[in-house]
Amino acid sequence: MRVLYVTSVILGASAILQGCGRMQPEFSHRDEFHELIPAAQVVVEDTLREHYGSPTDMVAWEKLPLKFSAASGRVTAVEEGTATPSSLQVSLNTGADDIQPGQNVDWLTGTLLPASGEEYTATREVVSWDPETSTLTLDAPLPEAPAPGDRFVVDLGGVLEHGRTLYAEHCQHCHGVSGDGAGPTAPYLNPPPRDYRLGKFKFTSTQTSNRATREDLSRVIENGIAGTYMPSFKLLEPDEMQAIVEYVLWLSMRGETELNLVTYFGELEDDEEVQEYVEEDFKEEFEDDISFLARRWEVSQEPAALVIPKEGRVEVTPESLRRGRALYVSDKAKCASCHGTEGLGNGPQTLAVQKDPDGNEYEHPGLYDDWGNPLEPRNLRTGIYRGGRRPIDLYRRIYAGIKGTPMPAFGTALSDQEIWDIVNYVMSMPFEEREPGDGTKPYTPPEQLATASPE
Amino acid sequence: MKRFWVLFFMFWPLLALYVCWVAPAYDWWFPGAAASPLGQRIDDLFYLILIITTVVFIGTQAALGYVLWTGAQRSDEGSEERAWFSHGSHNLEVIWTIVPAGVLLFIALYQMDVWAEYRIKTSFPEEVRNDPIAEVTARQFEWRIRYPGVDAEGNPLPLMPDPQPTDLYTVNDLHVPSGRPVMINLRTDDVQHSFFLPELRVKQDAVPGLVIPVWFEATKSGEYALLCAELCGWGHYKMKARLVAESETSWQTWLQELKAEQEFDGVVETSEEE
Ligand SMILES: [Cu+2]
Repeated sequence: MRVLYVTSVILGASAILQGCGRMQPEFSHRDEFHELIPAAQVVVEDTLREHYGSPTDMVAWEKLPLKFSAASGRVTAVEEGTATPSSLQVSLNTGADDIQPGQNVDWLTGTLLPASGEEYTATREVVSWDPETSTLTLDAPLPEAPAPGDRFVVDLGGVLEHGRTLYAEHCQHCHGVSGDGAGPTAPYLNPPPRDYRLGKFKFTSTQTSNRATREDLSRVIENGIAGTYMPSFKLLEPDEMQAIVEYVLWLSMRGETELNLVTYFGELEDDEEVQEYVEEDFKEEFEDDISFLARRWEVSQEPAALVIPKEGRVEVTPESLRRGRALYVSDKAKCASCHGTEGLGNGPQTLAVQKDPDGNEYEHPGLYDDWGNPLEPRNLRTGIYRGGRRPIDLYRRIYAGIKGTPMPAFGTALSDQEIWDIVNYVMSMPFEEREPGDGTKPYTPPEQLATASPE
Repeated sequence: MKRFWVLFFMFWPLLALYVCWVAPAYDWWFPGAAASPLGQRIDDLFYLILIITTVVFIGTQAALGYVLWTGAQRSDEGSEERAWFSHGSHNLEVIWTIVPAGVLLFIALYQMDVWAEYRIKTSFPEEVRNDPIAEVTARQFEWRIRYPGVDAEGNPLPLMPDPQPTDLYTVNDLHVPSGRPVMINLRTDDVQHSFFLPELRVKQDAVPGLVIPVWFEATKSGEYALLCAELCGWGHYKMKARLVAESETSWQTWLQELKAEQEFDGVVETSEEE
C-alpha cells in the first residue's frame, strides 16, 4: 500500500513537471531539405545555424540589411587628452534616433575585444547621445582607447529579441516559428497564412521586381488584411511595430537562404560530391547569393522602388467608368479573363488547367499562387480590398500586380489614365446597378422559376 | 482549539470586508469613475446593490459567528448547557421569504429606468435614436468600423444600412465626438462578440445576423479602451481597440483627414507645389 502511495506521488509530480517543462521552439525545415542526402543535410543545417542560430539563440548576421540592434557604427575620433575615454566621436550606420540612455555598448572589432579566454570588460552603458556633434558619452571610461574605425553596437541584438517575443505572442500561432505559415491555427484558415520563406509578400508599394518595403509590412500589421484572418494590430507601439517587421524580414531572409542552400545541394548524390562542392565552390556561391539577396532587399527600400503614378487619379465621371469598363473586358487589360465579365471572380481562366513553375500541369483546373495554393480571383463586387482600399492601392495592384499570384503587372501595357479608369470602374463595381439580362446575374431557366414559385 | 476554529472561520469574512473596503483606493473595482452619465447611474445601482448585500453579509456572518461561539461554549468541560433542536418556524420562514422578495422587487423596479435607457431604443436620447454615427462590425479578431463620411461641403452624411461609395473605414479605431450622446450599429461577421467600453460601463453582445444599436456618451475627451468581453476564440485577446472621444470640431477634422487618406492617389508633389 505504501509503495502504491509513493509511486503515485512520484508519477503525479513528474507529470506536473513534464507539463511545466518548456518546449524549446525549433526552426523547421523546408520539405526539400528532407530529400537531401544526410551529408548535405548536415552542411545545410550547420550553415543555417551558424548564420541564423535557433529561435531562442539568434544570430544577428551582419551581412543582412536589417536593424538588429538600436544602433551600430564606428568610432571616428576619440576624446583628446585622456588615455581611457568615456566620450567618443562616432559615425552611425543605423539607428541615429534610437539610442537611449542605459543601453549597452559592445565592441565588434579592435583592441577592446578580449583575447580568447579573457573576460569581456569593455561593455559600457550609454549616458547620452548627441546627434548634432555625433558624440556618444558612456557611463565609465573604457579600459583603453578604441582606435578610429573600431566598430561597436548599441543594445546588441535588442531589436531582434524584442521582435521575436512579440512575434511569438501575436504572429506565431498562424505564421509558425519559422515563418512557414504552418502554425497550429493555420490548418483552419482560408486563405492560408503567408509563408514568408520565399521572401515574397503579396501587397506591396514597390515595382514588380522588388521586394516589400518595411512600410508595406507595417501597414499590413497595423490594418490587417480585410477578407482574410490577418487581424489589425493597431495598438502596437512604434518600436514594437519596428521590432516585428525586422523579425519578419529576418525570418523571410532565413527562408530564402534555406531555399538557396537546398537548391545547391539538391543535385548532389553522394558524400564525395558534397565534400567536393563544400571544398570548392560552395563558399563563394553562397556569399554571392547572400549579397544578391541582401542587395535585393536593400534596393527595395529605396524611393526608386516605389510605384508612384505620374498623373493623379482621373475624375470619376460616367465617361471614365465607361472607359474603365471597356478596358476591363478588353484584350488589352484582360481583367475579365480571371475576374469575370461581371467581376464575380469567375472568369474563364478559373476553369482552365494551368501550369506549375516546373511546367507541369496542375491536377485540378484553376489558378494557383507561388506557394502552390489554389487561388480564386477576387470577387470585385464585395467591396473588400485586401491590398488596401485607397485608389493608390488599387493603382499599384494593377500597375505592379500582386506578387506571388497570377495577377500580372500592367504598368508597361497601360497608360496612367487607363489604369485610373480601371481603378474608377473597379471601385464603382460594388455599387453598380445590375439589371436582369445584363450578364451580371446567373441565368435561371424559366421552368425552374415556375417550379420555385408556390403558385 | 475549538475557539481557534471559531476565530479562523470569522477571520475570512472580516478579511473579505476589509479588502472590499480598501478596493476603491486601488481601483480594484472599476477602472476609475464612470466616464459617461449613464455609466454613473449604473455605478450608483452597483453601489446600492453592494450596500444591500453587505448588510445581509454582515448580518449572516455575525449570526454564524454567534452560533459557532455558543456551540463552543456548550461543549466546554463542565458546561451544563446542551444543544437544542428546533422544528421550522413558520413565522421565520415567512419573514425570510418576504423580506428578500421585497428587496428584489425594489431593485427590479428601481433599476428599470436605467435598463430601458441603456437597452430599449425608444428610450435612447432623442437626438441619436435614428442617427447612428458608425457601424461597428466585430470579427475574429478585430473591430471594423464604417463611417458614413462627409459630403462635398464637409458635412457628415447619414449612415446607410448598406455600404456607400462615400463611406470611410477604419479598423480598431473608433472616433466619436465627446460631450454628447452617440449611437453605433453593432454587428458581427462570424461568432458572438461583446462590445465592451469598461470606462464608459458599456457592454453589449454582437450577435450574428442582428444589427444592434448601442448608445453612449463620453463625458470627457480622451482615449478609452474598447475590448471584446466574449470568449470568442483563441485570438480573443487580440480584439483590443481604442475609442477616441474628441471635440466636435476635431472629430470632424479627423473625418476629413480620414477621407483625404482614403482618397489618396499616391501623387504628393503637385498639391505641395501648387
Ligand atoms: Cu470577440
